[in-house]
Amino acid sequence: MGIDVGKFMKNPEYEIKLTTYRDIFQAEALENDRFSDEYKKHSATVVMGKDGMKKFGLKTGDRVRLMNSYGSIVVELRESKREEPGGLAFMVNSPWSNALVSDETGGRGIPEFKNITARISLTKDEITKIESLIS
Amino acid sequence: MVTCTGCALLCEDIEVVIENDRIKESRNACRRGAARLRGCKNRLAPSFNKMQTDIDTAIKKAAEILKNAKSPMLFGWSNSTCEAQVKGIQLAKKLNASIDDTSSFCQGLLIERVLKKKFRTCSLEDVRNMADVLIYWGSDAQDSQPRHLSRFSVFPRGESRQRGYEEDRLAIAIDVRESNTAKICKGHFYRIPLKGDREFILALMDALSGKVPKYDAKRILELAGIMKKAEFGVLFAGIGLTYSIKEDIDILVSLEDMLPNFHVMPMVGHYNMRGFNEALFKETGFVNRVKFEGKPVHDNKYAVVEALKAKSIDALLIAGSDPLSSLPRSVLPHLASIPVICIDPCVTLTSKIAAVTIPAAASGLECSGSAVRMDGKVIEMSKVVENSYLTDAQILTRLMEGF
Repeated sequence: MGIDVGKFMKNPEYEIKLTTYRDIFQAEALENDRFSDEYKKHSATVVMGKDGMKKFGLKTGDRVRLMNSYGSIVVELRESKREEPGGLAFMVNSPWSNALVSDETGGRGIPEFKNITARISLTKDEITKIESLIS
Repeated sequence: MVTCTGCALLCEDIEVVIENDRIKESRNACRRGAARLRGCKNRLAPSFNKMQTDIDTAIKKAAEILKNAKSPMLFGWSNSTCEAQVKGIQLAKKLNASIDDTSSFCQGLLIERVLKKKFRTCSLEDVRNMADVLIYWGSDAQDSQPRHLSRFSVFPRGESRQRGYEEDRLAIAIDVRESNTAKICKGHFYRIPLKGDREFILALMDALSGKVPKYDAKRILELAGIMKKAEFGVLFAGIGLTYSIKEDIDILVSLEDMLPNFHVMPMVGHYNMRGFNEALFKETGFVNRVKFEGKPVHDNKYAVVEALKAKSIDALLIAGSDPLSSLPRSVLPHLASIPVICIDPCVTLTSKIAAVTIPAAASGLECSGSAVRMDGKVIEMSKVVENSYLTDAQILTRLMEGF
């Protein structure tokens, strides 16, 4: 029986630029119960254009790890229904996206909520639970 | 009719069906508003050190924390009534505390300029009655202020705009993403790169002064032509624009100065953020980030984000906000080492780590009060359902009595 080499290999990581947006379905879930599966479903998702996903060998429904020096989260990947010519990735603003936001503010008190650099890689880990973003 | 506190449009035309002191059904509200009117699933209970207690003990413990703190901060306020905001400012004065609200990392930069009359602005009724060119810039109103387009801007007939969007109005979107609002602005969506707003403004200013803009010359010249010809133009400045040009926010003032028929309106999310900014401005001349040291002192170091980073506060009272949800996790570690007092109708991420939790009535539903709409109009809210919760203002009054 051969050794499953793949098990020990790290999934490739790619650098992406992320920005955040607002979504009324997520806002509805927030009003109802921010600890609900519905809120998690709308928040713990990253959206990318078809070309970007193809380039990284990723597909809709994949679980991906997004990480940078500020944090690390696991979210679900979804293909954008729109044209995304800039190659940007998108997340609805939430505690999940905020786990990746830099604390650098230039002393101005406003973090770069919409300008996030992160690495993306395929993972089999579970989607990050909201409880682990509190502690 | 009920007033909705789902966003800073404060829609006053909501009809509701009440059953067992809860709103069972609502009409006219958007998806978010309807959810807010139904109320949250998990109501907050009074607690101290994560043990449930009675409301009197919770308030007493909160007063003790504030009394013993050397540099407390009072934060939140965008989901509080004007009456509670005034009490909050009084409490900050009494404690020599710092006070800040969510506008500190949201639309405060723009609201400050509106209140200082650096921007020409207008009312939402003016928009409905007169506006012919509507520019949503870094703003997805369809998802953030969902009835903005239908009640005030794109779709309604107005006094001077009887033919509505079909002939009398032109809607334009400038954004990094083709948002739901941008989709409505068919043929007039200008996609810009991330952090590209400043460069776009400069190109637009070149075009307005008769120069050939440095990039996308044809489309920028076309847009400048539309803006110049506007009889009553409105630039709805969203948070996407504010964040992108935060280092040089006055460039937007310079752009508006070149367009005498244009008005700027900050697109505010939380229902009474502007109310807090106006109340603090009236009291101190500043819209946020103030510390009372006998007299009010304004400094960026009193911004909640900077104060948490610098670990310069030793207690934090939070009214109607959930910083654990809305702030970067990278600035939050200090929260775990100081006592947090959380006043809110609902269980939040922040209430889970708070030393003291104090449940409050949901304003506009369980208590009456006033709030300031995104354009500065004061809106009165009535109590709709019976309940026994204290209001934010009552809680703050009782806290002050504890000193």
